[in-house]
Amino acid sequence: MKSKTMGAKAYRIFSLIVITIIAIGFAFPLYWIITGSFKTSMAINAPSPQWWPQEWVSTNYEKLFSRQTAPLWELAIPFTKKVFAGPVVPAAVRWLINTVFMAVVSMFLTCFTAAMAGYALAKKRFIGRSVVFTLIVCAMALPKQVILIPLLREMSALKLYNTIWAVIFPIVGWPFGIFLIKQFAEGIPTEMMEAAKIDGANEWKTFVSVAYPMIKPGVGALAIFTFINSWNDYFMQLIMLSSTSNLTISLGIAKLQAENATDFGLIMAGAALAAVPIIIVFLAFQKYFTKGITMGAVKG
Amino acid sequence: MKFRKAMALAVAAGMVFSLNTVNVFAEGEATDITLWTYPVGSWGDSAVVDGLIANFNEAHPDINVKVEYLDYTNGDDQINTAIEGGQAPDIVLEGPERLVANWGAKGLMVDLADLWTDEAKEAIYDSVESACQNNDGVFYEYPLCMTAHTMAINRDLFEAADALQYLDEETHTWTTENFVKAVQAVYDNGQQNVGAVYCSGQGGDQGTRALVNNLYGGTFTNAEHTEYTADSEENIKALELLKSMDGINFDASIAGGDEINLFCNGTLGMAFCWNIAQEKNNAENIAFDVLPMAFPSEDGNPQLCGGIWGFGIFDNGDEAKIEAAKTFIDFMANDETQAAESVKASSYWPVKDLGNIYEGDDLMTEYSAFIPYMGDYYQVVGGWAEARTAWWNMLQQIGSGTDVTEAVNEFVTTANAAAAAAN
Amino acid sequence: MSTKSRMSKALVRRETIAGYAFMLPSLIFFLGFVIYPMIQCIITSFFDSTMNREDIFVGFGNYIELFQDKVFLGALRNTIIIVLVSVPVVCIFSLWVSSVIQNLRGPLCSVFRCVFYLPVVTGSVAVTVVWKWMFNNYYGIFNYVGKATGLIEQNINWLGDEKYALGCIILILLTTSVGQPIVLYVSALDNVDQSLVEAAEVDGATRLQCFWKIKWPQIKPTTLYILVITTINSFQCFALIQLLTSGGPNHSTDTIMYYIYHTAFKLYRYGYGNAMGVVLALAIAILSGIQFKLAKSE
Repeated sequence: MKSKTMGAKAYRIFSLIVITIIAIGFAFPLYWIITGSFKTSMAINAPSPQWWPQEWVSTNYEKLFSRQTAPLWELAIPFTKKVFAGPVVPAAVRWLINTVFMAVVSMFLTCFTAAMAGYALAKKRFIGRSVVFTLIVCAMALPKQVILIPLLREMSALKLYNTIWAVIFPIVGWPFGIFLIKQFAEGIPTEMMEAAKIDGANEWKTFVSVAYPMIKPGVGALAIFTFINSWNDYFMQLIMLSSTSNLTISLGIAKLQAENATDFGLIMAGAALAAVPIIIVFLAFQKYFTKGITMGAVKG
Repeated sequence: MKFRKAMALAVAAGMVFSLNTVNVFAEGEATDITLWTYPVGSWGDSAVVDGLIANFNEAHPDINVKVEYLDYTNGDDQINTAIEGGQAPDIVLEGPERLVANWGAKGLMVDLADLWTDEAKEAIYDSVESACQNNDGVFYEYPLCMTAHTMAINRDLFEAADALQYLDEETHTWTTENFVKAVQAVYDNGQQNVGAVYCSGQGGDQGTRALVNNLYGGTFTNAEHTEYTADSEENIKALELLKSMDGINFDASIAGGDEINLFCNGTLGMAFCWNIAQEKNNAENIAFDVLPMAFPSEDGNPQLCGGIWGFGIFDNGDEAKIEAAKTFIDFMANDETQAAESVKASSYWPVKDLGNIYEGDDLMTEYSAFIPYMGDYYQVVGGWAEARTAWWNMLQQIGSGTDVTEAVNEFVTTANAAAAAAN
Repeated sequence: MSTKSRMSKALVRRETIAGYAFMLPSLIFFLGFVIYPMIQCIITSFFDSTMNREDIFVGFGNYIELFQDKVFLGALRNTIIIVLVSVPVVCIFSLWVSSVIQNLRGPLCSVFRCVFYLPVVTGSVAVTVVWKWMFNNYYGIFNYVGKATGLIEQNINWLGDEKYALGCIILILLTTSVGQPIVLYVSALDNVDQSLVEAAEVDGATRLQCFWKIKWPQIKPTTLYILVITTINSFQCFALIQLLTSGGPNHSTDTIMYYIYHTAFKLYRYGYGNAMGVVLALAIAILSGIQFKLAKSE
C-alpha cells in the first residue's frame, strides 16, 4: 500500500516537472515577442540570442507607428458619398479598431442568430427540420478555403469586397453556433414552454423569457468561441481586405513581415501590439472566459 | 433585455461603419484613382511617394490619388483577389513581366497607345519599348525606370580569405572557374554559409535565374521568347555545379528578401538578389564593404537580368478614371521636372536620356558600370506567372535531392505547357 | 415523439411558421454565405474557369485530373496526417495535463490553465511570426539551443527541409490548439463525483480502473466536444502554412486548403481549385456525419 502511494507521488512530481517545462515553452513565444519588440536590431540578429534585452529601446514601436497612417474611423452615410473621417492616426491603431469591431460584431450577430436558430431546431417540430439540421452538421467543419472563389465573387457582386462585412458575414453564416445552441436548447423542459403559452405568452415572449435564460450558458460559450475565432480568422481577412485602412491587425503584421522580411524588431512590435490588448482582456475576464468555455462542454 | 439592446447598438454602429471603401474623397467633381506600387526603390516608401503625389496635385488638383503598397511576397495574390473582388487598382507600378505578360495577356489592362506617341517611341530605348508591348504591338506599360540586377559580395570577408584575387574589381566580373575558387576559399576560411540559392517563394527569383544561366552561358528561353530552355545542357551543368559546391546551400526556408537581410547582417558571404536599391536602402544595416559583382560566366562576359518598371492601367470600365490615370502617368514619367524626380525615387536609371540625373553620386556611378551587361529581357514569355512558380519549386526539389535533370525536365514541361496555353 | 402524433395540421403549420421565423436570420447568413457559394463551387468545378475569360465546360475533367495530380495527392496525405496526428495528441495531452494540474492548490491551477491558453489568445499570426524566427536556419533559437546542448551537430534548416517542415507545422498547431481542451477537461474532472472515486478506491480499484470505470464515462461528452472543435481547428490550419512555408519545401507542407489558394491565385485555375474544394467538402461532410452519429449513439 505504501509503495503504491509513493509511486503515485513520484508520478505526480515527475508529471508536474514535465508540464512546467512545457508550460515555459508555451509562454516563451509571447515572452520573446514582447522582449524582442524592445531590442535593438543588433541584439535581435545577434548570433547568440539575448535572453533579456541589454538595452531597452522604443525604436521598433516608433517605426511601426510612423510607417503608415489612416483615419481613426470612416463613417459612411449609406447611399451617399459622404464620409466622415476621424483624425489621422498610425495605421496600426486603425487595424486594432477594425479587428475589435469585426470580432465584436461577429460575436453579437452569431450569438443572436444562433440562439434563435438553435432554439427552433431543438424545440420546434417544423417541416424540413431534419434536412436543415443535416446540412448544418455537414457544413460545420467546412474550411472556408473550399468556397474561396465563389465567395469572393459574391462579395464583389454585393459590393462588399474590401469592407469588414465581407469578413463578418461568412463567420456569422458558419453553422457551428447553431449546432452548439441546439445541444443546449434540447435541455429546455417542454412543460415550461407550454406553461408559458398557457399564460398567454407569444412565441417571441416564450423564447425571451423561458428559453433564452436556459441557453444563456451556451450563448456565453459561443460568444467566446466566436470572438477568438474571428480574431484569428486570418484567411477571410487575407482574401477580402485590401486597402491599408481596412486591414485587421493580423493581416497588418503579416504584411509587415512580407515587406520587411527580417526586420524582426519591427515585426515583434507589431505582433506585441496585436497580442497584448487581447491578452489583457483575457486576463481581466479570465474567470468568465473559463466559465464560458466550460459551460459549453456540459452539453457536448 | 440587455442582450437585445447591445445587439441593436452593434447593428446600428455597423450600418454607419459600412461602405468604408474607396469613395473617401468623393466630393465635387474630382476623380479618385488608386495607385498600387510594388517596392520599386523608394516607391514603396510612403513618405517619398506622398511627396511625389503632392507634386502631382499641385499641377492637377482635381485628381485624387490613393496609394497602397504591395510587397513581392503577397503582392500578386493581393492584386489577383482584388481583380476577382471587382476592385482592381487603377494604376499599378511594376514590370512588363506582370503588366504585359500576365495581366495584359489576360485582357485586364488598358491599351496605352495614347501615351506612346511617336515622340515617346523616339525617346525611350528600343529594348525597353519592345518589352512594354505584347506580340501584337499593343502597349500595356509605360516605363519609368530600369536597372541591371547584380549580385554582391562581402568584400571584407573575401579579402580575409584572400579571395579577391579571383575577381576583377574594376570591371566587376569574374569567370565561373574563379567564382568556384573564391567560394571555396571563403568557405575554407571558416564561413560556412557563403551563398544561398533561396527558393521558398518567387521573391527575388531573377537572381537565381541569372546565376544559373550565366555560369555556363545557358538561356532561360529561346530567342523568340516562345519556349523555355532551362533544360539545356549548360543550365543542367550549372545547377549540378551549384549543388556540389561547399558553402552554397539550396535554402527552401528563405526568399530573396530574406537573403538580402542575411547578407547585410553578415550571415551570408554574398547575395544573389542585389541591385543599387538594395545597397541604398540597407546602408544603415551594413557594417562591411559591399562589392557589387556581375554574375560569374565562363568567358567573363555576363548577361545580366534587367529590371524595367513602369505604369499600367487596369480596365475598370470607367473612362474618367482611365483618363485621370493616363494624366498621372504622363505627369510622373514625362513632365520635365517631375520625370527625373520620379526616377530618382526609384534609385534606378531612366528609360530615356534625361541627362545625368545622378551627377556626383559615386555609388550610382559605380553601379552604372553594370548597365552595358544587360541581357535579353525574356520575362515577357507566355505563361510567365506559372513558370516562376515552377522555377522555385524546381530549386526546392534539387535542394532536397531530386536528380537535376529530372527536376529541370519537369520544370520545362510545366512551363512550356503554360506558355502553349497562353499563346 | 408521442406529441408529434397528437399534433394537428394547424399546429404543424404554426410550428413550421414559428420555426422558420426563428431560423430566418441565421438561414440568411448560412444559405447566403455558405450554401450558395458551395453550390457555385460545385457548378464551377465542372468548368475550366480562369480570370477574365468565359468558362469552358469540361465535365468531370477537373476531377479526373485531380486524382492524377501528384501534388494534390500529396496535399491530401498531408491534410490527413495533420488531422490524424493533431486530434488524438491534443486530446491525450490535454487530458493528461488537466489530470495533473486539476487538484493543484490555490491559483496554481489557473496559472497553468492561462499559460496553456496564451497561444490561443495571442493570435495565430503573431505566434507564427515568432516561431518563424525561432526556426530560422541561421540564427534561430532551436539551432542555437540544439547546438549548445549538443543535441544536434549542424544547423538544421527546420522549415526548409522536407523531413522536418511538416512536423514543425504540426508542433505549432498543437500549441495553438490545446488551450481550450485543457480548460474544458479541468472543469469536467472537477465535476466528477468524488464520492464514487473514493468508494472505488476503498474497494481496491487501481488508478487505471478508477479512471476508466468512473471518470471516463463522466468526461465523455467533453471529449466528444473537444474532438469536434479540434478537428475543425486542424482543418482550418492555413495561416501557419501560408506564412511559414507556402507549402514548400517541395510541396511537403501543402495541405488541400493551401493548395486551393495556390491553384486559384498562383495558377489561375478556378475550376480546378473548386473541384478540390468539392472533394474536401465531401470528405469533411462524411467525417462530420460519422462523428455526429457516434456522438448520438452514446
